Amino acid sequence: MTETRGSTAATPERGRPAAKKPLPARISLFYRQVMAELRKVIWPTRKELVTYTTVVIAFVLVVIAYVTGLDFAFSKAILAIFG
Amino acid sequence: MLTAFVRAFRTPDLRKKILFAMGIMALFRLGSVIPTPGVSYKAVQDCISNNSDTGLYSLINLFSGGALLKLSVFALGIMPYITASIIVQLLTVVIPRFEALKKEGQSGTARLTQYTRYLTIGLAILQSTGLIALARQPGQLFTGCTNDIIYPNIGIFGIIVMVLTMTAGTSVIMWLGELITDRGVGNGMSLLIFTSIAAGFPTSLWAIKIERGWGLFLVIVAAGLVIVALVVFVEQAQRRIPVQYAKRMIGRRQYGGSSTYIPLKVNQAGVIPVIFASSLLYLPALAVNLASRTNPPGWATWIQRYLVRGDHPIYMATYFGLIVFFTYFYVAITFNPTEVSDNMKKYGGFIPGIRAGRPTAEYLDYVLSRITLPGALYLGAISLIPLIALGLFHANQNFPFGGTAILIIVGVGLETVKQIESQLQQRNYEGFLR
Repeated sequence: MTETRGSTAATPERGRPAAKKPLPARISLFYRQVMAELRKVIWPTRKELVTYTTVVIAFVLVVIAYVTGLDFAFSKAILAIFG
Repeated sequence: MLTAFVRAFRTPDLRKKILFAMGIMALFRLGSVIPTPGVSYKAVQDCISNNSDTGLYSLINLFSGGALLKLSVFALGIMPYITASIIVQLLTVVIPRFEALKKEGQSGTARLTQYTRYLTIGLAILQSTGLIALARQPGQLFTGCTNDIIYPNIGIFGIIVMVLTMTAGTSVIMWLGELITDRGVGNGMSLLIFTSIAAGFPTSLWAIKIERGWGLFLVIVAAGLVIVALVVFVEQAQRRIPVQYAKRMIGRRQYGGSSTYIPLKVNQAGVIPVIFASSLLYLPALAVNLASRTNPPGWATWIQRYLVRGDHPIYMATYFGLIVFFTYFYVAITFNPTEVSDNMKKYGGFIPGIRAGRPTAEYLDYVLSRITLPGALYLGAISLIPLIALGLFHANQNFPFGGTAILIIVGVGLETVKQIESQLQQRNYEGFLR
């Protein structure tokens, strides 16, 4: 299922093997483990991606419009008072 | 899902929450334009309109929604609170007493929140003093603008009033954020940062159109859309760890027997690491401000050269490194594999092929530490986009689709929309039952 850290350990969750391998070997092992996990990741489907992106953009635009409107009104008001 | 917005407003309870959050946002913006007593509003306006180069304060100014340079009541924004919560969270690892408090559960967390608030006040006093000291020297806050931003004859009492006002403003922001979390929708702090960034967005985007014409403007908008899609893509990516629940009888009822999964996101930490990293990188700039201007010591010039200007490779490397560090750090403090595995054991759940208890916790830790690496690298890469684009296009630092800004905007947007959606489902479900 997953690659092990050392040849003595049967499963990755048995902990580190007694003797440490040299650093480059451990880095490449870690890299391969990362790749193995990445392959099991469920990525969003195209439809999901489109829906979420649209909704987020719509939401963000609404908030930006709201905040810009507020800022415009407030700065006019402040200018009238202090300007 | 777009119709969800309309439905959200038809649900009375949810409508109240959304309107509450919007009201708080309005208050927050109002405080960001009201000038602090002692500030010459006209002089500030002159300086802002005459000069777009705000140099090293641009990112902080972005985070405070333009309030910093206006020296308004809310000039410091949420920055002190963020810095304080980073410090407190870092201290939970270092100080045994803090660690004990964190493990204590709800009452301990409440105590830690209290410490964070006190620290925020302290930082706010420090930062407002620094900001005011800077603003009093002509031509320092705005390079090349020599107006007297603060009336020169206000005296020591006037300065104390200004420091008090800004500190009080920061604590009000803290309260507003907590109100949104309690009674509105979404996470208050991130929603307020979102508001601040959104405030500066149209202006800086339009500035690019004016300076560079339609071509680059459209390119940037298109690039922004691609980045939004990319951020959504990674934020939604999950590693699902299957969990099987054993069937069991409690009294005469049968429970469990179902199989679910633990969703581990590729980017489990969200946008917090980016916020943490950028607010931490602000500290050296702050330290330089406190050092003397006329005859700066060696470390100050070194920081000025390497850690303040955003386009230097050392700055970028530090930023990237901090983001990767904070991603792991934040995942480590928010997701506790031992706790999850204990909970699973309590309710008779197990991961197929792995024994309950310690092996499960170790397995979760194994997967999490490996899945977080691409997440951390992604966060770092997205945040570096503005800095690299800065070099490519020679666009200004306020590049609106800059990674930090867009990550926060999209991340917070996604979170808030999802929360509204889940509350909506809850409502409708109840509606069916009645």
